[in-house]
Amino acid sequence: MSTSTTVTETSVGAGDAVGSDGSGAPTPAPEPDVSVEESARAKQLKRIGIGLGRTLLAVLGTIVVFAIVIAIKGANPVDTYRALFNSIFHNSNAATDIALRATPLVLAGLAVAVPARAGLVNVGGEGQLLIGGVAGAGMALAVGEALPGEVTLVLILVAGALGGALWAALSVGLRLFAGISESVTTLLLNYVALDLMLFLVFDPWKDPNASGQPTSRPLPTSQQLPVLGNGRIHLGVLLTVVVLAIVALVLKRTSWGFALRVVGGNAEAARRAGMRVGPLLISAMFVGGALAGLAGAIQLAGVEYKLRPLFLFGFGYVGFLASWLGRHQPWRVAAAAILLSALVIGGDSLQIDSGLPAATVNVLMAILLLAVFGFTGKKRAA
Amino acid sequence: MSFSTELMTGAVLGGTPILYAALGESISERAGVINLGTEGSMLVGALAGYAITAESGNPWVGLAGAALGGALLSSVHGFFVLWRKTNQLATGLVVLFLALGLTSLFGVNYVQSTINSFQTIDVPLLSKIPVIGEVLFQQTAPVYVSYALVPLLWLFLFRSRPGLYVRAAGERAQVLTSYGRPVRLVQMLAVIGGGALAGIGGGVLSTAYTNAWFENMVQGRGFVAVAVAVFAARSPFKVMAGAYLFGGAFALSPLLQVRGVGINQFALDALPYVLVIVVLTVIGRRGTSPAPEGLQAVFEGGASE
Amino acid sequence: MRQRRHARVGVVATLTAAVMAVLATAIPVTSAGAATETCGKGADTVGFIFVGPKNDYGYNQAAYDGAMALKKKFPKLKVLTAENVPENDDATRVMESMVSKGAKIIFATSYGHLDPALKVAAKHPDVCVVQQGNFIKGNVPDNAGTYFGTVYEPVYLAGIAAGKATKSNKLGYVYALPIPQTIANINAFALGAQSVNPDAKVYTVATSAWCDPSKQADAANSLISQGVDVITQHQDCTSTITKIANDKGVGVVGYHADASALAPKTWITGSQWEWAPLYGDIVKTILAGKFTGSEYNDNYRVGYKTGSNPFVQSPYGKSVTADTKALIADKLKEISTTGSPFAGPVKTQSGGTMFPAGDIPDYAAIEAANTQFVQGVVGDLPKS
Repeated sequence: MSTSTTVTETSVGAGDAVGSDGSGAPTPAPEPDVSVEESARAKQLKRIGIGLGRTLLAVLGTIVVFAIVIAIKGANPVDTYRALFNSIFHNSNAATDIALRATPLVLAGLAVAVPARAGLVNVGGEGQLLIGGVAGAGMALAVGEALPGEVTLVLILVAGALGGALWAALSVGLRLFAGISESVTTLLLNYVALDLMLFLVFDPWKDPNASGQPTSRPLPTSQQLPVLGNGRIHLGVLLTVVVLAIVALVLKRTSWGFALRVVGGNAEAARRAGMRVGPLLISAMFVGGALAGLAGAIQLAGVEYKLRPLFLFGFGYVGFLASWLGRHQPWRVAAAAILLSALVIGGDSLQIDSGLPAATVNVLMAILLLAVFGFTGKKRAA
Repeated sequence: MSFSTELMTGAVLGGTPILYAALGESISERAGVINLGTEGSMLVGALAGYAITAESGNPWVGLAGAALGGALLSSVHGFFVLWRKTNQLATGLVVLFLALGLTSLFGVNYVQSTINSFQTIDVPLLSKIPVIGEVLFQQTAPVYVSYALVPLLWLFLFRSRPGLYVRAAGERAQVLTSYGRPVRLVQMLAVIGGGALAGIGGGVLSTAYTNAWFENMVQGRGFVAVAVAVFAARSPFKVMAGAYLFGGAFALSPLLQVRGVGINQFALDALPYVLVIVVLTVIGRRGTSPAPEGLQAVFEGGASE
Repeated sequence: MRQRRHARVGVVATLTAAVMAVLATAIPVTSAGAATETCGKGADTVGFIFVGPKNDYGYNQAAYDGAMALKKKFPKLKVLTAENVPENDDATRVMESMVSKGAKIIFATSYGHLDPALKVAAKHPDVCVVQQGNFIKGNVPDNAGTYFGTVYEPVYLAGIAAGKATKSNKLGYVYALPIPQTIANINAFALGAQSVNPDAKVYTVATSAWCDPSKQADAANSLISQGVDVITQHQDCTSTITKIANDKGVGVVGYHADASALAPKTWITGSQWEWAPLYGDIVKTILAGKFTGSEYNDNYRVGYKTGSNPFVQSPYGKSVTADTKALIADKLKEISTTGSPFAGPVKTQSGGTMFPAGDIPDYAAIEAANTQFVQGVVGDLPKS
């Protein structure tokens, strides 16, 4: 857990402590605790500086290594980077693209982060996202036109969250019941979730008006998340920011959030201290699954409007990485999700502008992640 | 061929790549390092195996190259996990992405190639035994090698000094250090060895089983190998059983379809994964074999921040 | 200490929220073209998106080759390509990116790219968006269209060759997912085989994946173990099944690509794409400003009866007799004029009637009717 201190602390000038006559002759140092505090602050600033420096070095290292890789492939690194940069920063679509892509990714990252606080490993975001979409689509089918669109929309989102939560609960249930690590079961259940969704879109939920395409029926406009202004940003993006803030608050300020941290730190000690570890674990995973499920429902109601075989494909795993990149701290996870989304958007440029194979962006992402994971952040105890 | 014979044959055929990778992963896990990047090592091995066979004309040389490729990739994982202390699961996934990207980048030219793939070899005499003969002794050479590899690995783990070190690194690292043995080095070697075996698994996939190279061709079988290694890490024989179980579960779908059995294709696709969860639950309820202590820490999330 | 930490978090929080709020009010991008002009006129850039890798020795490679052929035909035309574009909303983003780089023509070359393609078309009236393989239901926008060849026609002819070649009367078909084109292919293959060999049966295996070599290997092996001696497939990457069949002495009927080099022993025939002429004609029409109202501004399907089918027969293998070749040539003439692969009577697997005796269905009727297997096909489909 981070223990670094704030940057915005008002800086008490050095002159205050050492003497302000400007003559260069320092008056004898006043109360010792002020100078201790000062040097502590200086140490903090230094630490932050080192941290930033390390991150910059990591990024620099990534740029160099990736340049070597693509040079071997015959691409000009300078041109490639220039095109990459332009595609992210000089492209009027990029900001919106990144925001739209980051929205489910942030939630997918939080879906990993919340259980991680309790020491649980949730690799099942992929499946929980899908089940969230499935539950949302199912709710839409069940309600049909019986209720006003806005009400149905709320129900869709709730159903999505609930679906994801229950799917995740399966794994933690198996852990408590049979001792299987949830990292294995969540992973395996991803495949089951995909097969369930494929079954639905190819058979009972297949849209009869879609000329044979395997998709579910599209949501009527009244049940879709409204778009803000005349752009492409839909209400789900704002909703995600709100949820992000709530999650951060809950983890930091509530006793539940605190209890999760205790269990995550040392489950055995927590048990001995009288905490009910089982229910805490279940609730942590439940919340994680709910977040992923919500992401699925938001993507359904805000972007895709129907289920299809490649719905949110890959977001679960990238969300897992985002959570680690952000060290399971909600705001940092969000920042990581935005970064990774920007990388994917940049990946388009690698392909379209530089002619590299589509999967090249994976190399860039991997090198960056390894550099950041391996060379920045606190040194852990051996 | 009867249904059950075909099923068992398919189990061995499809289970062998998983077996190699799972054996490798089980050694790594014994030493306390889980490598989700096994899928990546298989991918690198698949490409290296195919490409080097295409260039050299000899699939055994290709397999050697596959082992080397898999080992190189897993050494990246080992370096970051053991020396930079990064989280094992996250690093494994990142290494997988790296492998996906690199094999795509450098494998482009080999999609069109044809190679001298491994051919089925009928073992004289043994292959004539009813049922067992068809299932076990009408396979390709790497499959036969895997038969020998399983007991050899058992001997290595349980009857040799290096194997003892590997097990100690995962279960009682303090013992190793108190005897002056370098724990990290042992772990790194286990990870590299595991990667080499996973690479061979991938090589078998491309040069013996499917006779092809396509990007991302492993399609999740590396994850399956990790799952098998997790629940069977105690013994290479259990790993073999698990690998064949999965191989059979994957082979089941086409076998049933060809016989006109009307089970939904997606239900059949989900079957292997559901099956493994059931097996894990049964094993778990019986309370047998928890993972080695070092591995427990990874799963408890306590191995890192 | 606690306060400082909260303050720090507060700063990060505020910054992130600010960033997202800024993104949330992003200025929308509107297209620069006038709505009254027809799309794509005078375009200098064309964009192609592929669902898989462009070198898969199959579907995507064929489309890519067609795209590259455009470069030769229109030397001043810039061709942008993107592969591995998934069939979800990511495709919208990639196409938009191409539009922002100046593409006024977009080819979305996979079945599941339709919804994203229509989204892009709606947003940019000056960009012509054509989609490969699907159907636009209802009103076709002025700047959009779909195109495809009647793939089942050469598959029918290949089925005749297979029907003649088989000795076990068991043919194998490995497919991915039960989409309409696949069902039509399997049915046509069966009908072609049965037209020369009434006892021939087609055994189907679905792999649920367009390119998973392990599943393809399992499927091929299980079919061959059942006695299938001619095998074909509807997959994106085709070499695994081709090579396994060749190794085991099983006849190969190809798809998407000419894989005869991979099956020197047992290649029979197959069908493959020649997109270049059709792509070229579409681009020519667009460049001349004649897209709207043209035959491409519709669900364009071209087959033997109506023009130049981009899906053509592959070369024959050594084993195909002169008699068979002549027979197929005759059949080709027939279905190009007065006949049809689905000429009635055609019975369904369940015993019903797909087309009654004497019926010669047109392309639209064929597409509509192919939701279930015909008699002689072994395999199950979802109920819908």
